[in-house]
Amino acid sequence: MLAPSVIHLVWWIGIPVAATFVLAFTDYDILAGTVEFNGLDNFREIFSDETWNASIWHTVVFTFFTVPVAMAIAVVLAVLLNVKMRAAVWYRTAVFMPHVTATVAIALVWMWMFEPRLGVVNTMLGWVGIDGPTWLADPDWALTAVIIVSIWKGIGIKMLIYLAALQAMPEDVYEAARIDGASQIQQFFAITLPLLKPATFFVLVVSIIDSFQAFDQLYVLTPDGGPGNSTTVMTYEIYRTAFKEFNMGAACAQSVVLFAFLLVLMLISRRLTGKEEDVR
Amino acid sequence: MSAEKLLQGDTDRGTRPANRIPLARLLRRTALHLVLATVSLAMVLPFLWMIITSLKTDPDLASYPPNLLPQVWDWDNYSEALEYAPFGTYFKNSLLISFGHTAFNLVLASTAGYALARVPFRGRTLVFMVVLATMMIPTYTKIVPQYLIAKGIPFFGGNDYLGQGGHGWLDSWWGLIVPGALTPFAIFLFRQFYLSLPRELEEAARIDGMGEFGIYARVMTPLVKPAIATVGLLTFESSWNNFLWPLIITSDTNLRVIQVGLSTFQQADQNAWAYLMAGTTLATIPMVVLFLFTQRYFVQGFARSGIK
Repeated sequence: MLAPSVIHLVWWIGIPVAATFVLAFTDYDILAGTVEFNGLDNFREIFSDETWNASIWHTVVFTFFTVPVAMAIAVVLAVLLNVKMRAAVWYRTAVFMPHVTATVAIALVWMWMFEPRLGVVNTMLGWVGIDGPTWLADPDWALTAVIIVSIWKGIGIKMLIYLAALQAMPEDVYEAARIDGASQIQQFFAITLPLLKPATFFVLVVSIIDSFQAFDQLYVLTPDGGPGNSTTVMTYEIYRTAFKEFNMGAACAQSVVLFAFLLVLMLISRRLTGKEEDVR
Repeated sequence: MSAEKLLQGDTDRGTRPANRIPLARLLRRTALHLVLATVSLAMVLPFLWMIITSLKTDPDLASYPPNLLPQVWDWDNYSEALEYAPFGTYFKNSLLISFGHTAFNLVLASTAGYALARVPFRGRTLVFMVVLATMMIPTYTKIVPQYLIAKGIPFFGGNDYLGQGGHGWLDSWWGLIVPGALTPFAIFLFRQFYLSLPRELEEAARIDGMGEFGIYARVMTPLVKPAIATVGLLTFESSWNNFLWPLIITSDTNLRVIQVGLSTFQQADQNAWAYLMAGTTLATIPMVVLFLFTQRYFVQGFARSGIK
């Protein structure tokens, strides 16, 4: 009963993962189908590529802004939604909606919203007297626009995980705090946030993995790496190297670098948010 | 964490004790609703704007400053968009692939989950650990070889027995459906559900002379309907929304899924916004409706996984 699944996992996950780490040290000729070891050549090649180095920086900036900002909004929303009221279900549904819809489709909607002259974003900025930038066409603003879309898209799932954690929390601690006269703001910082530490670790890990692997919205909103390659990220460069230039060895080397980044970040988040026993 | 509790949507934590002045409470409530309503509006605004745009006429779209509501509600945009681009084909392809993925995943993952939960064998813990580990593998650590494997399937697409010379599963239904037909998360979820069923059921069935497969199919699986619903819906949703894999393995227009079709349509026709928005509405609304009616399963699944 287990065999079909195990074969599938080995064939489509096990072998590919191992192959990535092997192919990263080879010169793979996709037409001839020949493989030749070339040591660290692929890594030398990718790190001498300005665009790849820029893409690492963009990925870091993208993650730095999307993850903590979206997490902060999500935790506040979760606390607000954790109140007994009939409309809570509706608010939660609205906040979660972007998560279930296709990134590509919804990115196309944002593309239209960011249209410099006729788009709704600049129209609304116009109401308050701000002359909006050309967003996706402007190298200085394109990444910001993509970050805005990604925060909007990412809040829902983070909020949901926080909400689930909040509802599993002991009531008596709050009772005690109220008797001691702690205000709600004090309760939030002194009780809620510390108790949410395991959830925070979980959200952080999931969000960093998601954010480092963001591709769809970048591909759609800023095709070909954006104006002047200003929004190219590691995933886009892997896509470009593998499926446009068909340089499979270098693409695998880039994948290994991406993997190394994720691994290090996982270790750091674990250190930051607490001991292993805390993790659900 | 308790998904059941989450579904009820609220507990009484955060409500103030009754000794507060009612007016202050009323004010707080109003403020809370104001904040939440504003945020909710910001979250759904793009969806509203999408639908509004899909119903505008061309001159209406070009008018500056833009009108918030359509001057004329042009419902014909939808039939015109379907004629203008093969959105109908894309839609059908996505539907077929999503159903395919869902069916395969339910069968494969439930059998595997059952075996891992209820059939004792040597190395079971190890297999389960490996399944857990595969859940955490990032897409980009496997995507390039996955493509090469699909391309090198022997005897398909003009390939010889070594998988050389042709295009293998590229541009084929096989390539679109098979690689994504099983998710480790589904195995994990099924295992947890099967694990929670009482032993007595199994023993009773065994005394009645039922075989292992009979116990799986006729006794245990009917009892894990929530797991079936959760896995089914999550698989359908992520398959429908998937973009990268169909993008890299298909170039044939007839095999394009809706997400890839939309993005190529936009690149080819940069200003056909009304048609594009009609297309994105068709691509998103089914998921929104599905989600609205089956929220409890989605919420349960997402709260457990956190990942798509």
